[in-house]
Amino acid sequence: MSDIDIKRISYLAKLKLPSEKEEFYSQSLEDIIQWVDNLKKIDTSNVKPLHNVTEATVSIRNDNIEKNNTPEDVLKNSPERAQNFFKVPKVVE
Amino acid sequence: MPKRQPISSLVNSLKEKKISVHELFDQFHKVAKENKNNSYNLVLDPDYQKSNIEASQERYSAGTNLPLDGIPLGIKDLFCTKGITTTASSKILSNFIPQYESFVTQQLLNDGAIFIGKNNCDEFAMGSSNETSHFGPVVNPWQNKNNPSEKLVPGGSSGGSAAAVAEGSCVASMGTDTGGSIRQPASLCGLVGLKPTFGSCSRWGIVAFASSLDQAGPITNCVEDAAYILNSISKHDFNDSTSSNYQRDDYIKDIDKKLDHKIKIGIPSDYLKNVTPEITAQIENTKKSLAGHDIEFIDVAFETTDYALSTYYIIAPAEASSNLARYDGIRYGVREEGSNLDDIYLNSRTSGFGDEVTRRILIGTYVLSAGYYDAYYRQAQKVRRLIKDDFQRVFQEVDFILTPTTPNEAFKIGEKLDPIAMYMNDVFTVPTSLAGLPGISLPSGLSSNGLPLGVQIIGNYFEEKKLLQLSNLIEKELSFNE
Repeated sequence: MSDIDIKRISYLAKLKLPSEKEEFYSQSLEDIIQWVDNLKKIDTSNVKPLHNVTEATVSIRNDNIEKNNTPEDVLKNSPERAQNFFKVPKVVE
Repeated sequence: MPKRQPISSLVNSLKEKKISVHELFDQFHKVAKENKNNSYNLVLDPDYQKSNIEASQERYSAGTNLPLDGIPLGIKDLFCTKGITTTASSKILSNFIPQYESFVTQQLLNDGAIFIGKNNCDEFAMGSSNETSHFGPVVNPWQNKNNPSEKLVPGGSSGGSAAAVAEGSCVASMGTDTGGSIRQPASLCGLVGLKPTFGSCSRWGIVAFASSLDQAGPITNCVEDAAYILNSISKHDFNDSTSSNYQRDDYIKDIDKKLDHKIKIGIPSDYLKNVTPEITAQIENTKKSLAGHDIEFIDVAFETTDYALSTYYIIAPAEASSNLARYDGIRYGVREEGSNLDDIYLNSRTSGFGDEVTRRILIGTYVLSAGYYDAYYRQAQKVRRLIKDDFQRVFQEVDFILTPTTPNEAFKIGEKLDPIAMYMNDVFTVPTSLAGLPGISLPSGLSSNGLPLGVQIIGNYFEEKKLLQLSNLIEKELSFNE
C-alpha cells in the first residue's frame, strides 16, 4: 500500500475516483513521486525559482474595454441556462 | 513515402493556374475524409470552405494572393477555431464550439490558408503516442518493413497532425509542444517539426496544458515550409502576457544562403550515454553530411540532463492541475447530473477526463498541496533555473546543439503501458522545453525496420532564422527527400 492519501488528493482535485481505481492511481502516483525524488539531491539553497523563461518579455497592455462578444456568445456553450445566466442547482438555503 | 510538393511550389502552381484552389483542396480533402489513420477528429468539407476557397481563387486571379493562399492545412484539435468544434480530444470538451478564433489560427487565415480539419491528439496534449485521445489512437502511416501488419503509434501529443502530413491529407499541420509534442511525432513520422522559442507564438486560444511551456509550431514536409508557417504565426499578441515583442525576422528570406562564417555545433555526450547504435548513427550521419562545410563539432556535456524529466513531471502536471480546474461542467463542456453543485463538479470531471489526464491532475495537485509544495514544486522551479543556466553556459561555447530527437523509432500501439516508460520518450526534447529554447526535429534516416528517425537541432533564444538556415542545409545534405 502506498502512503499517499489518494482520497485527500482526489478531493482537492475535485475528482471522485471509483473505489476499484483508487489503488491503481495511488500506486501510479507513488511510482512517479519516487521517480522525481532525485531532485531532492540537488542543493538549490542559493537558486531563485524560475517561473517564466522569458523573464524580460512580459508585456503589459492598457486595460481598455473591448466588445468582442455578446452574452449570447458567452452562453452558447452552457449546458444549462436561464435567460442570461448559467443555471446550477440551488446553492443557498 | 512519396516526395511532396513544398508550399512555395504549390503557390506557384496556383499562380500559374496549373491547378485551382478548389482542385487542390479536393485533392487533400479526399485523403482526409477517408481518415484511415484516425488522424482527424473533424474533417471540414468543400461546401463548408466554399467561400474561403472562392475568395482565395479570386485573389490569385487578381494577382493579390497572400503568402499561404489556398494552402490546405490541418489544425491540432487544441486550437480554438470559431464555430468549429474544438475538443482537445477529451470527452469533457466533446461538445465545445468556440466563439472565437485562436491568435495563431487567425494569422494563418489572414494569410489565406484553408483548414482541412481538426487533427486528433492526446487528450489535452498529455501523451507521447496519441493513445490517450478520447477518440481513439492515431495510426502511424509508416510501417515496419519486417512486420507490416503491426500498427504503430505516430508519437504525440500532436500525433494526428504528424500522421495527417505524412499520409498526405494536408500540406502542413499546426501542432503544439509542451515537452516534445511537435518534435517527437515529427521524428516518428519522418517530418520536420519546429518548436519556436517560448513567447514567439501567442498561446491565446490554445487549450492550456502547462502555460509556462506550451508553444505552437508547425509540422511540415520540409524546412522551407516550416519557415513559411513561422512567418505567419510568429507575432506579438497583447492577449498573451508571455508573448514576446522582439522584432521578428523574415524566415524565408536567405534560407538558402551559404554559411558566411564558421559555426560550432555542440554534441552533448550525456544525451548519447544510453542510446542504441542506430540512434548514435543518426548523429554520425548528420555530422558526416556536413563535412564539406565550415562547421566545427564540439563535444559538450550538460550537468542537469538527468534531472530534466523529473523537473518536467512536477512542473507540467502542477500547471495542468491548475489549468484544468476550469472544467467543471458549468459554463461549457459536458455536464454530468448531480444533486448539488459539488456533485456536478465531481461527476463532470470524473467522467470527463481519461486516465492519463486524471493521473496528471492528481500528480499536480499532490505536488502543489500543503506540505509538499516546497519539496516538489518549488524545488522543481529552482532546478528549472539550473537547466536554463546550463544551456546558456553551453551556448557560450557553441552556436547550436545537435541531439537525437527520440530514443527510439515508432513503437506498437498498446506496447508501452507503464507511464514512466512513456515519459522517457521525451528525454531529449524536455530539457529544451524547460529552458524555453527553440528546437527543430529533422528526418535523418531510417532504422533497420525501415522506420524514420530524427535529429534535433537546438538554437539560442529567438534565433529561429539561423536555426532554419542550418536545418535547411542539413536537410539538403542528408537528401532524405530524394
